Amino acid sequence: MNFKTVDDVALIHLIAQAYPEALSELYDRYGRLVYSLTLHILGEVEAAEEVTQDVFFRVWEKAASYRAEQAKVSTWLSSIGRNRSIDLLRARGVRPEGHSLGWEELTPGAMPRNEGLDPEDSAMQIMQGERVRAAIASLPAEQRVALAMAYFRGYSHSQIAEELHEPLGTVKTRIRMAMQKLRSLLVEEL
Amino acid sequence: MANNMHVTELIPAYALACLEADEAKLVAEHLATCGLCRAELHSYQEVAGQMAYAPPQVEPPQALKAALLERLPAVSGKPGANDRRASWWQRNVWPAVQLPAERGTAGQRGGLPRLAPAWALASLVLILFLGASNVLLWQQIGDLRASQPTPLKVVTLTGSQVAPTASGLIVISKDGHYGTLVVDELPALDEARQYQLWLIQDGQRTSGAVFSVSPEGYGSVWISSPQPLIDYSSFGITIEPKGGSPGPTGDKVLGGDL
Repeated sequence: MNFKTVDDVALIHLIAQAYPEALSELYDRYGRLVYSLTLHILGEVEAAEEVTQDVFFRVWEKAASYRAEQAKVSTWLSSIGRNRSIDLLRARGVRPEGHSLGWEELTPGAMPRNEGLDPEDSAMQIMQGERVRAAIASLPAEQRVALAMAYFRGYSHSQIAEELHEPLGTVKTRIRMAMQKLRSLLVEEL
Repeated sequence: MANNMHVTELIPAYALACLEADEAKLVAEHLATCGLCRAELHSYQEVAGQMAYAPPQVEPPQALKAALLERLPAVSGKPGANDRRASWWQRNVWPAVQLPAERGTAGQRGGLPRLAPAWALASLVLILFLGASNVLLWQQIGDLRASQPTPLKVVTLTGSQVAPTASGLIVISKDGHYGTLVVDELPALDEARQYQLWLIQDGQRTSGAVFSVSPEGYGSVWISSPQPLIDYSSFGITIEPKGGSPGPTGDKVLGGDL
């Protein structure tokens, strides 16, 4: 079987049937996405490697519980990676010094080149990244800040309000409006 | 906020997991019974999923994938894994013992063309020897199995839409009279509700256990049954008022067939 031609959902079904080749292919497709996200959240290569490996190992163990109607495979993987990273971040209590967890350095013009990547393989992910970064850049600055604190740090509304010295209601509104705007830009046009 | 009121305003933050605990609980309870709000949630989860593409894409170290794949066989007890021994044989062993003519020029590329027939003959003898040994081993395994008691039966439970990441196992004793239920990643419930296991036979549902789970969603419970568990065709778990119900009334969270 050529696993490269198998779609994401079928790959998950094959992983549930204990095909290591299917997990290998899934890793080839999304290992970079998960690693990049966890590295951005954690700011440490070693921790990002650990979490990335855990994410795919969890997929190996829990593939049978995946429901395609609930979320795309990439969404499932990134949510596991994000949750695990934030858990680790909370357990440590501190972030590496100088490590930024905002969107500012992710604006389209400020993005580093994706060196070392296969242009063909990564083209879709690069385009997707550009699209998401453009959508986020279109948000008002105060919404971007609140969203980054929720998404990358795992802060609750009240924690964000405390950190920003803003009323709780204001923070809630910013998060809600940011998500609504992103949904209109990223999801509904699909 | 009543459970029958939509929680649309809170769903974007719920998708980001940035609600306070009490609000998150309200939303979770409402989602358990409202398909409209679940659909709304899925669209916002998709937004959160796409946000993962925003950070700079960095290639993970090559060794990471190798380390991941190395972990699999050591801990994998997944059913079906052993069914693929044949393909492993075909991939790894068979090419090594094929005659040169069957491999085309492969033998010549190795630089030992005159040794190839002797090597093939030796391989063939080895295969015949291994084959004979294998037959003897299978006979011994058969004898051993015959002397062993009937193995435990295991029923795998998979999560419904209400609890897609949840999983569970029912382990049934060899005589079918006793069983233990183990669940993982079920949503934690408020104090007014518990989970209830249903034993299903010809459409009739009999309560097998009422239980709660830890904050992490883990739980285990002894199953009580008026008849052997192996008589039931399937099993389901629903959310019920504390203490259980005479019949299922809440959402199904896990299910599986014997």
